[in-house]
Formats: sequence, C-alpha cells, structure tokens
Amino acid sequence: MRLLKRIASAAVAAALSLTMFTACGEKEDYGKDVIKLRWVTYESSVPPDVKDVIKEANEYSAEKIGVVVDLEFQPTEMINLTMASGEYYDIIFTCSWLNNYNTAASRGMFYDITDLVQTATPDLYNVIGEYWDASEINGRYYGVPTLKDMGSEMMFRMNATYYEDEKGMTIPEEMKFEDLEPFLEAYKKDNPIKYPLAMDKSGIAGFLNFLEKVVDNYIVIPYDSETPEIMPIWENEEFMKRVRLLHKWYQLGYINPDAAAMDYSGIAEDTPIRTGVAWRGYTGYSNPAYWDFRVKLSLYDGPYISKFTEQGAMFAISAGCDEKHAEASLKYLELLNTDRKFRDILAYGIEGRHFNYLSNGTVMKTDEGTDGYMPSLFTTGSVTNASVLSVSEDYLSDPELWTKVFEGYKEYGIWSKSGGFIYDTKRKEDIVTMLSAIWSNYYTDMITGTSDPDVIIPKMKKEMEDAGLEELMDDIKSEFEKHLAENK
Amino acid sequence: MDNENRPEKKHGSLSDTNKKESRQLTVMTIPTVIWFSLFCYLPLFGIFFAFKDFTPVPGDSLFKNLFVNSEWVGLRNFSYLIHNPQSLSVITNTLAYNAIFLVTGIVIPVTLAILLSEVHQRKFQGFVQMALVLPYFISWVIVGYCVYAFLSTDTGVMNSIIKHYGGDPVQWYQSPQYWRVILISLGIWKSTGYTLIVYLCSITTIDRTLYESAALDGAGFFQRVRYITLPHLRPTIATLFILGIGSLLNSDFGLFYQVPMDSGALTDVTQTLDVYVYKSLMLNANFSYSSAAAFLQSFVGCVLLVISNLIMRRVDKDSALV
Repeated sequence: MRLLKRIASAAVAAALSLTMFTACGEKEDYGKDVIKLRWVTYESSVPPDVKDVIKEANEYSAEKIGVVVDLEFQPTEMINLTMASGEYYDIIFTCSWLNNYNTAASRGMFYDITDLVQTATPDLYNVIGEYWDASEINGRYYGVPTLKDMGSEMMFRMNATYYEDEKGMTIPEEMKFEDLEPFLEAYKKDNPIKYPLAMDKSGIAGFLNFLEKVVDNYIVIPYDSETPEIMPIWENEEFMKRVRLLHKWYQLGYINPDAAAMDYSGIAEDTPIRTGVAWRGYTGYSNPAYWDFRVKLSLYDGPYISKFTEQGAMFAISAGCDEKHAEASLKYLELLNTDRKFRDILAYGIEGRHFNYLSNGTVMKTDEGTDGYMPSLFTTGSVTNASVLSVSEDYLSDPELWTKVFEGYKEYGIWSKSGGFIYDTKRKEDIVTMLSAIWSNYYTDMITGTSDPDVIIPKMKKEMEDAGLEELMDDIKSEFEKHLAENK
Repeated sequence: MDNENRPEKKHGSLSDTNKKESRQLTVMTIPTVIWFSLFCYLPLFGIFFAFKDFTPVPGDSLFKNLFVNSEWVGLRNFSYLIHNPQSLSVITNTLAYNAIFLVTGIVIPVTLAILLSEVHQRKFQGFVQMALVLPYFISWVIVGYCVYAFLSTDTGVMNSIIKHYGGDPVQWYQSPQYWRVILISLGIWKSTGYTLIVYLCSITTIDRTLYESAALDGAGFFQRVRYITLPHLRPTIATLFILGIGSLLNSDFGLFYQVPMDSGALTDVTQTLDVYVYKSLMLNANFSYSSAAAFLQSFVGCVLLVISNLIMRRVDKDSALV
C-alpha cells in the first residue's frame, strides 16, 4: 500500500508541476539589461532559417534598444488557441480576419497602449499617424496597425504572352469583373480539356472584398450606396450578378468541375488567369523567367478601404504584461517601423545570404532566401518600412512604391461610409455560430460557381431565417444606428 | 466448538493467501489507475468550460482563468445546439449512421470471424486477417485522396469506366444520393478488420472438444455455429454492443469530414454532430461551446449506456457489463 501511495503521490506531483510549467510561461530576462519578449505571429509554415535570422535581428536590436525577441510563427488554428487559452506572450499578431482583434480587445485581452505609445515611443505614434483609427475602440488603442496595403484591390493576373502576343487581344489596365468572359472563352476554344479559371475551394482571391464585412462574409455593407445600409449578402445585386456569372462560367467549363471539393490544389502553372489581392505597381508572381510567359495585371475591383481592411494586420501587446514589458514591446515595434535596415532583416533574412540590395535600392532574394526564409511581409512588421522586393535584376520594382500606393488611396480609394462600425459578435454569439455553420455549407458551392445560386441561395436564406437571422439583423441595425449617432 | 473452530481457522489462512494475491493484483493495476487518473479523471474539470463564459487573462494560470476570471452562464453555451433548426437533421444523421454501424459492426465481423476460423491453412488465414486489418491503420485524410482518385469528375477512375461504356460522367462530389452508401461502405471497410480480431480471439478460446463431439453426433457446420460458436460469442458481442451504444452520438470525424472533402452539396448526408461542431466553431475557437457539445455527447452516451446495460441485464444477466 505504501508503495502504491508513493507512486500515486509522485504521479500527482508530476502532473501538477506539469500544469504549473505550462501556465507560467517564460518571462525571464536575457542578459544584463536586455529584455526578452515572446512574440507570436501568424504564418502557415515556419521558415527553416528562422533561428539564424532572429539571431541576427536580436544582435541588432539588443544594441539599439536593449530588447530581443523569441519569435514564433504559428498557423491559424494554433494562434487562435494561443489566444483563446490565455497563454502568456508579449506581442501577438492580430487582425480582423484571424483571432479577432475587436473581440479580444473589447474583452480586455490586450494592453491599452493609448498613453504609453505617445510618451514612450512618439516616433511610432507619428509614423502610424491617421491609421491609428484602425485600432481605436471606444477612444482607446489596443494594437499597433501594420502599415501595408490598407485597402483591398483585386486583380486578374493574366498570361500576356498568350493573350496579347498570340491572340492579339489587349489586356486593359483595369476591367470589370464580367469583362473577363471573352478571355475565358478564347482559351477554352484553344484548349477544350483545360480550365482557364481553375481554382480550389477557396475560390477567387478576395472575391467578396467589394463588400464591407460586418458578420463573417454574409452580413455586409455595400461600399457604393450613398447612405450605408446593412444587409444579408444576397440582397446585394452586384453579388448576385457575380455568382450567377460564375455559375454560367462553371457550366461552360471555364472552371474545373471539382473546384468545390479541392483543397490547396496544385493548379497547373500554365493556367492563363489567376486571381490576386494586391496593389497598383505590384510585381510579385510576374517574373517571366519563372513563369515562361509575361504576366500582366488587370485591376477589376477597389481599392476598397474600411476599418476591416485597415485592420488587415496589427500587433497587440498582452494585457498580462507589466509596464516594463509593454514599453519594451512598443520600442521594438517602433524600431520595426522606423529603421529600414533592421526591418529588412526580419522581412528578408540576412544580407548576402538570403537577399541582396539592387542598384535602385530594392531587394532581390537569393535562392537560399527563397527556400530558407520567405515569410509574408505583413507577419513580421511594417510592410511600408521594408525595402521593396524586385523579382529579377531586369525587372526592377519602384523603390518608392508605397508612397504612391498611399497617395493612390487618397486619389481613387473607395472609402467606407460606415464610420468604422464594428459589430461585436459576442452579443449574439449563438445565432452567429449557427448562421456561420449554414453559410459554410453553401459558401464553397457559391463562390466556385458549382451550384445554381438561384436554387441554393433561397434554400440557405430559409435556413438562416429559421436560425434567427432576423433577431441578429435587428440587433446589428440598432447597434449601427447607435454608432452613427455617436460619431456624428 | 472444536468442529466449529477448525473450519474458521482454515478459512482464515485461506483469506491470508487471498489478501496476498489481491495485493499483487492491486499492484498490477497501478499503471492503468495512473493512466486513467491522468488522462480521464484529471481533465474532468474541463466540464466546467461548458457552463462558463471562458474569458482568459493572458498570463494567468488555466485554473484561475477558468474558475475566477470566467463567469457562470448556466446552459447558455448549449443554446446554439438546442435552439438550432439544423440540430434535428444533424442528430438524425449521427444516430442513423451509428445504428447502421452498430449492426454491420457485429454481423460482418462475426460472420467473417466464423468463416476464417474454419480456414485451417494458417498462412492464408494470416494473410486474410492482415489484409482486413490494414485499412484500420490508414488515415482518413489519405483514404479521402484515394477516394478522390476514384471519384474525381474529369480524371477519376469511376467516370473513366462510365465514359468507356458510353455513360454520362457523374459529378460525385455534387451528388448526395450516392454518399450514404459510399460512407457506410468505407466505414465498414475500415473498421471490420479490427473487430474481427476480437471475435476471432473469442472463438479460439472455445473448447475444441465441443466441436469434435458435436461433429461425432452428426452436427453440420450451421448447427455447430448456431449451438456452439454463437452462444460462446454472446458475451463479447454484448460487450461491444453496449459500448457501441455509449458512443451513439459520436461519429468518426475523419470519415464524415475528410472523405467527402467538406463538399457543401453533400452536407445533408455528411453532417454529423462532430462535423457540425467543428464547422461552426472552426472560426472562433470558443472553448465553452465546444465543451458544451462534448459534454452533451458524453452525457447522452452515458445515459444510453446505462439504459442498454439495464435492459441487457433483464434479458441476459451474464452478458451485461455491470
């Protein structure tokens, strides 16, 4: 019996200490006066050379501001769990489309940086400037917006060698969504067994970005109306027009028949039309040496700018931080936003090994860089403060790209009229959960053109109404009216 | 007095050996006890998630976050399941598939086990057994892609065959009518081998002399099965049946989510409770909602298990679990 007791108590002790270890997190200092931060960011996979790059960055930042980081790249499910379980971190990636910034901030999970950012890091405060609005909740800031493409611009990336040189067609700089049809038709005629608009179940990139999102994708505010109006997505005519068109294209064989069932498919490299969300002057995926053909972009939507799009990427500081760590975190984010040399390390890796500077100040990745360190720019800090990437030495990008993009927003940006309205889905979480499940059942069929929208949308609408759509709409509308009255 | 004392003394010494034996047996259970307390009883506090609005403060311990920082909300976390018009079809699907699996999960493996036990060529028996168990170890994700290779609309094997014989290709992933059969066959294909082994083991424990004397008395194959094998298998069948009933509301997520590639058109026939919970909570990682669903599954399972065990005890006392 004694043996049994001893074993049992040892087991319990081991279990308890295990839970204690996981609960405390690592909150230790690094070296003498250097503060070490745990920084969790989003990325679907961990870049292989991340350790070397962080070492290089830490040497730089330790000397400049006395702060180093332990950077973790986490995929969607993992970063959601890190947030939901209340794990300790100092800086975390947050935004409108992943581990919801607005919900987390209004539930007190993030540090209120409103005053600290102005006293401790005035340079950071000035750099972000008018875009602080993106992180504002009831007059307070809980996150640092990442300066990147602040609006959504959707484009077709088309094979210009085929269309312009071979077929004698002209790919315009800008087109309407429906203008794509003749291009699809031409390719299908030449290649009957291929699909010019091949896609997987995620559909066309940024397909619903022409609507301001309120709940998931299905309750929206159209950008184009004079007075902002909240509606279920099927009440928007443009949306209905586009899904009907997609269904027509599907039936004509322009879209692959199993698109709605295909996950992360390797779509054939010679697919003549790809879709993307980018910005004017974007040169990624355009290197003719890689694709074997000239790629020409044609813009069809945007730039649409709303609070949702401005919240595309942000960094927040944990509410569990003491002031010392919060200040160190802000200092670190300030350095990322103001020091280009430092920013380029986390963006592109180690100079000479992962990337090199070109004559006009832009950056080109080496082969080792392409394989070893290729995180998305927005996951490691400011995009505008990083040097611009060129795809090849003959195909240089404009080093002043971002100044032009931001000026462009002022010139031809389509701005939301909702006054930064964000609906807190926690208010009707059970209904939202039910509706989202229904929406996800029909979503892929709708956006890949697989099913006839005039059959499935009425069916979906009926199901959503049974699950309490009206109650949710009433609540959103009254919240929206309150919001408009407050912001007059 | 002497007469009365003697047996008592004898009895005393017997209980000493009993004690020693039971101590040894107790020590032998230690690994299981530790395993169960660590992985089954210790995490039970997670039930509280289902009744709390889990609001963690980053950096606080899990226990403080759960018990101090989070509010009690009663049954509110269940409302998305209870007030849901879809729940009925989701639960019917779950129960219907499980009922089918419960029956086929007995009939098919028992039949195969009996047939296999009649095969006396060891090598062949081993080969068949291995071939049947193998699918159990293949992940559903891989099965899903293999099925896709068969059912893909433009390049799939099935449609190539159909086209070869002049038929029109079928859009499998858009045609719910075929999927009940596909899913049930795959479920059986994957699980049969595993249960087969359990039954085969029970059959080998049956005293061979019973069969010999039955054969001498002129009993044919079917009579031997009916009067010897099946009665001996009854406790095993009953045990597996009762356990199966306990998980009537649980479903094999991989089978119903991965294999149909989460195709929207198939939802009506593929949406079981686990799939539904995953889909509705995938976006917001709400611990409280998912624990509520898990709690409901375990609770209903537990009630069903107790009831079926009670019934079993009435019908056949020896086959009941407790």
